[in-house]
Amino acid sequence: MKTVIAAAPCCQPVARAIALLAATLPLAAFAGTPINKLTAADPTGTVEISNTAGTVTVTGWDRNEVEVTGELGKGTERLDFTTADKITRIKVVLPNRSYNVEDTDLIVKVPATSLVSVNTVSADIGVQGVRGTQRLQSVSGEMRTESSGEDIECRTVSGDVNIAGSGRKGLVSITTVSGDATATRLAGEVNGSTVSGNLTLGVGETSRSRLRSTSGDLTLQGSLAADARLDIESISGDVRLDLVGKTGADFDVASFSGDIRNCFGPRPVRTDEYAPGKEWRHQEGDGSARVRIKTLSGDVSVCRK
Amino acid sequence: MTQDERAPQGAVARIDSQLRELPREIEPGRDLWPGIAARIDERAAPAPASEPRRSAWFWQAAAAVALVAASSLLTATLLDRDRPAGQAVVTAAPSNPVATSQDAVGMPAAFGPAGTLDPEYLAARKQLTQMLDQRIATLPPSARAKLEFNLGEMRRAADEINAALAAQPGDPLLEELLLKTYQDELAVLSNVSQLTGSLENAAASPAEKRMQL
Repeated sequence: MKTVIAAAPCCQPVARAIALLAATLPLAAFAGTPINKLTAADPTGTVEISNTAGTVTVTGWDRNEVEVTGELGKGTERLDFTTADKITRIKVVLPNRSYNVEDTDLIVKVPATSLVSVNTVSADIGVQGVRGTQRLQSVSGEMRTESSGEDIECRTVSGDVNIAGSGRKGLVSITTVSGDATATRLAGEVNGSTVSGNLTLGVGETSRSRLRSTSGDLTLQGSLAADARLDIESISGDVRLDLVGKTGADFDVASFSGDIRNCFGPRPVRTDEYAPGKEWRHQEGDGSARVRIKTLSGDVSVCRK
Repeated sequence: MTQDERAPQGAVARIDSQLRELPREIEPGRDLWPGIAARIDERAAPAPASEPRRSAWFWQAAAAVALVAASSLLTATLLDRDRPAGQAVVTAAPSNPVATSQDAVGMPAAFGPAGTLDPEYLAARKQLTQMLDQRIATLPPSARAKLEFNLGEMRRAADEINAALAAQPGDPLLEELLLKTYQDELAVLSNVSQLTGSLENAAASPAEKRMQL
């Protein structure tokens, strides 16, 4: 025998309302809180942003204001938005310093010449159109930014770093533990340090660069300024230097057990009859720039591009 | 040809003549070989830790490492200036039983078979490691795992260089790379401590005008 249960005509609208509420309740419960804040800001001031999970997107604009929009993730306590002494601070506050929250997406517009400082745990960081100094730090979030010639410092544990340069001279510092870093069209001074990440850097012309790695590979492509100093050290990571254009440099390359390959002519020589070490010393052109590369077991390649 | 031009030519001729009169071979006044052989033997044997040249190098290396450690600690201390009074920067070992960066301290660092590291360096390293242990627990598990793996990677690199130094004592390239590896390890410990610490401190200033959602 089949039993049919049907709502009485009198109760159908209520049932529909309950069903509709039940259907929409989860969406409401999990939806983030919209953010929409605006404050006046000094064009040469500092904007400090802190987020845990989600994204931070910073865009430089031509207004003397800082605007924050986006969505505050469920589980977060609040968004602090403060201003004092040319410093605008934006911080996603968590209850009891818990990191177990849903993503918060922050879209921040700042005066283009601001100094921008961003700290995150896993939130990705994106910066565009900012012409002031940038200090970007994240534990595992990825970073993507543009260089306009002002100083840029990127520090991360496992997040990857991507920098699009403009060819203007500046100081770029990249520090990762396991994150990879890629940069194009940098110029001036570049410092890169990693444990196991791979650094692949394109430099229009460098005057001073220092790259260090434990096991990550280091690749630098670009030209050397007349008095450039290039210092590269690696333990087991491979080093590749592709030089563009006419090169006038004094090379001092040594590896304990790695291979040394070069496209400038002379072959590397053994440093000791009874040890595996090799070194390659060579002056190319006027030798005004200095290139120094040292590895334990990483292979070294120095060539023209 | 003038008188002035002829005079140098005469001097050159006299020097040539005197050179031709010099003996082709000269017997040494004493037997030099025993001294040379002794010096070769000295080079072949591992250099003692108290050797003056090496000792001086160690002091320079230790000073460099201590400088890095000290500056790192200073920075970390400055970052922690606003920490509430009672909350020490350096704490006891974490309660987290999983492997932590504390293991770095458990593994004795060495500087080749003939040397040991400066006690100040070791103390700074231990302090940074303990500081990191306190903060590493707040990291997401995946980031913590990667950090611990990479600290292990640096220790493995140091072990590899130490092993090579055992076979090639005094190799300047190996000594330089080992020193840099220890410096890099301190830098990573310091960087991660600062990174996690700055996340806690960033943008926290209750006295300022606050606009909450």
